[in-house]
Amino acid sequence: MKRSGWKRRHCYSLGAAFVLILAGCAPQRAPYRVPIPPHTIGPGSGRVLPPVPPPAPAPPETVYKPLPQEPKILEQDLKSKAPPASPAAKEPGRQPGSGESRPAPDATASLPPALADDSSLLAKITPGVTPQRAASLRLTDEGSKLLDGGEPAKALDRLERTIVVDATNPYGYFYLAKAQFRLGRYFESLNFLAVAETRLSGEPFWLSEVHALRGENYRAQGQLQRAETSYMQALRLNSGNRTATDALARMQVETPSASR
Amino acid sequence: MKKSNLRIFSIALVTLLVITSGGLVFGAWYLKGLEETVIEKFEKPFSSFPSKIYSDSYLLYVGINVRVDDLAEKLRRLGYFESSSPPKRKGEYHIARSGAVEIFLHDFDFPTEKRQGVPVRISLQGSMIARIENLATDKDLFDLELEPELVTGLYERIWQERKLIKLTDVPPLLVKAILAVEDERFYSHNGIDPIGIMRAMWVNLRSMSFQQGGSTLTQQLMKNFFLTDERTLSRKIPEAIMALIAERKYPKETILQNYLNEIYLGQKGSQGIFGVSEAAQFYFAKPLSDLTVAEAALLAGLIRAPNRLSPYRSTDAATKRRNVVLTKLLDDRIITRKQYETAVREKLPERALVKVTNDAPFYVDYLRRELDENYSNAVLTKEGLRIFSSLDLQLQRKAERALVEGLKKLEETHPALRRKGDNDNLEGAIIVIRPQTGEIKAMVGGRSYQKSQFNRVFQAKRQPGSIFKPFVYLAALMYGGQSGVRYTPETVLNDSQFTWNYDGKAWQPHNYNNEYFGAVTFRRALESSLNSATGRVAQDVGIRRVRDVAQRLGIQSALPAVPSLALGAAEVTPLEVAVAFSTIANGGVRTRPLAVKLVLDQNTQPLEKRDVRVEQVINPQLAHMMNYILKGVLDRGTATSARRMGFTRPAAGKTGTTNDYKDAWFVGYTPDLLAVVWVGFDGQSKLNLSGAEAALPIWTEFMKSATASMPVTDFVAPEMPPESEAGAASKCGPTSREGELAEACPQPAARPVREAL
Repeated sequence: MKRSGWKRRHCYSLGAAFVLILAGCAPQRAPYRVPIPPHTIGPGSGRVLPPVPPPAPAPPETVYKPLPQEPKILEQDLKSKAPPASPAAKEPGRQPGSGESRPAPDATASLPPALADDSSLLAKITPGVTPQRAASLRLTDEGSKLLDGGEPAKALDRLERTIVVDATNPYGYFYLAKAQFRLGRYFESLNFLAVAETRLSGEPFWLSEVHALRGENYRAQGQLQRAETSYMQALRLNSGNRTATDALARMQVETPSASR
Repeated sequence: MKKSNLRIFSIALVTLLVITSGGLVFGAWYLKGLEETVIEKFEKPFSSFPSKIYSDSYLLYVGINVRVDDLAEKLRRLGYFESSSPPKRKGEYHIARSGAVEIFLHDFDFPTEKRQGVPVRISLQGSMIARIENLATDKDLFDLELEPELVTGLYERIWQERKLIKLTDVPPLLVKAILAVEDERFYSHNGIDPIGIMRAMWVNLRSMSFQQGGSTLTQQLMKNFFLTDERTLSRKIPEAIMALIAERKYPKETILQNYLNEIYLGQKGSQGIFGVSEAAQFYFAKPLSDLTVAEAALLAGLIRAPNRLSPYRSTDAATKRRNVVLTKLLDDRIITRKQYETAVREKLPERALVKVTNDAPFYVDYLRRELDENYSNAVLTKEGLRIFSSLDLQLQRKAERALVEGLKKLEETHPALRRKGDNDNLEGAIIVIRPQTGEIKAMVGGRSYQKSQFNRVFQAKRQPGSIFKPFVYLAALMYGGQSGVRYTPETVLNDSQFTWNYDGKAWQPHNYNNEYFGAVTFRRALESSLNSATGRVAQDVGIRRVRDVAQRLGIQSALPAVPSLALGAAEVTPLEVAVAFSTIANGGVRTRPLAVKLVLDQNTQPLEKRDVRVEQVINPQLAHMMNYILKGVLDRGTATSARRMGFTRPAAGKTGTTNDYKDAWFVGYTPDLLAVVWVGFDGQSKLNLSGAEAALPIWTEFMKSATASMPVTDFVAPEMPPESEAGAASKCGPTSREGELAEACPQPAARPVREAL
């Protein structure tokens, strides 16, 4: 992607977002424009899917309906730096449309209270849970412990089993993302997070974890603005998210002008 | 002496000298050659280790359904032996009257950890695992991983299986037993034992048959180096010379250690068992250190004729030979009488030999093709790699059976499909994938590997026919029509004849039997695979978008953007079809197909790990909607015969028949397992059968058997139901990586669909 095009598109979307906000409308979600990278389809085959051709431009009159669900900051929002359609968008210190996403020192003051810790996977094994889900949760728990023990390769092996046993176990995808992150495979980690996100939309605690881990991935890739926005999104869902809090604090100290 | 005589004498003398010196030079050169061979064999005795391909491991956990017969078969294939009482030794299992299965697990080096064999008990409630206990620690386990099965070895000429050991690792009793029966005077001779030869000759003369050999251990070792059993003088002489050379150059301990690692001790299918360590595993499923006196005696006794005396072949012959060795050990005071009596009483269990026969040749070929990209043939056949695959051998066998029997049945019911001789026989292919992970669980590339190694799963490009239609409908759900129509499953379509003009050409799709249904719902049009309605949808959506969706799902072949693409005119492989439908089955998450999972070197260090890769390429709500519509294909549409044949669990699928009846397809899946079946002729002869008639019965038979012990699961709707307002809106809402689709998302329908079409 050429940088000039990138800039121009951002100018348009930032401008559009600003106008929409002024008009009291929810901002239009601009599509995530990074083309899907070539996907190797055969293991080690070197065969690469043809790049997805760019879609035809949307008709000018197209207006998308906003999703009547918990507003999220999606990647396209991050890219356009348009503020999310959430109360947090109006928090002090944030300047919609300005491209400045770093929160003011008191930005977290308006965040919702911390959510109760829902991280125990074994606590989710209740009598009504199917055997597949129960086994998958136990495997996920084992995998997470291996991760905590600094054995991401072993954990990955275990965690892959979680989705074999129960493909609907969203926590398996989350921890797979975490294992990939620990192994330094950020692209794969982000992919797993994208899947986890779609399957955890009803669980703000976990969704917050997803955003925080996404922030970690972006930070590791040096995409500090994206990282910061992801952390903020995590905190908007759960102000008690330690990963996000610590990371933001670290970023303030390490790179005071990171977002500029 | 006459001058002439002197001259003759001189010439003779010179000739003799020349011949003698020539002979000496030749002899020296020959001896040097033999010496080099001996040194090479001793310095690098085992330079060639075949790589081994393993299946996927098998995970048992509390709550899963298991058929005891299936589990017992699996255990037997893994080299476990059934015992009549609770297992006491590694490698045994016992099925209790209560139905519980007790297993004394093998030791196994899993890729990420070494497992020590322990006794476990699996208690069942009906067919469900209710409890798994570690009997060594009395602790409950929630899961149990059975080791992967050895599928085959990759070797050049002979598959030699051996595990190298040091002399100090071999129990002294086994060494003594071998020396007692094979070469009593090992420590006294210099490689050749004249006394032993004379004694053997005497014994053989007395009995007028071949009873004893006079070869020393060193000679036997030399013979093994040549890997043939030739008994000619031209082989015996160099063997004897090499034995003398070896004895002169190396200490007795080195020769003995080489012998213990090198000696041939049996055959397991195409796999030769070499060395005492491998033999202990093969015959007794235990390490050398755990051998009993009786087992050590049997192992020593087997050296003479490993296959004839094998306990797998005849326990009587093996017992007799063992007792001969035990008597010899007693006579030589190597064992006590008490040890002798205990050992003689030990009963040899009757065990069936489970051969490694490579049940999955097409799968192995596919694996090799993948491995060839990173490893040379020499590395694969000589460096002893351990390759762990996704293969499920039980599913593989079921797929092979379903295909072979299904094609045979088709030929019986449709004699026109029979061909004389081997010319262009009816062929088929099956690929089985786990949608969540992309693991290829089974692959049958043709009817008979012996007759044709052409793997139709990934080498044959065929027209997919109606199998392609779901991509058209998915594109319609994703993008809407260029006319502004927003498609839903209930959108009414026009199923009547029409002509699509493009690039100055006209294309007119025809329905099966030229039957047209007028106003039909979107869902019904796909369930019933109506060509005309599909063509109209494709025209409205735009063929490029249809192509985009197919590629996004995983189709890699070139897809020309022409109207006939909508009805599956572009050629694809069954593997591509499997990947594309896996993406739909998996809620819009595309996975990469995985056959090779892990490659370890001889020291169990990982060389390569291919892990599960996912990418959310389609909105999950849309994927769910497609699954929902494709379920209707089995419940109400063109694949209802699967239900009549007894496949009742929730499943989605699509039949495929090409216009010219040359290809019959069925792709179908439960949430956990997807299979694609193709039937046709390599030479493109006409089948004159539809996908429902030719491919669906094979798929149904396979899936009935493959899913019998799997839990019944249905496709889970994403958080937002597609029917809801939110779901409808989200159809065009971007997921984090789907912005391009959102960009093209149309307005809600503003005018009647019929008008638009």
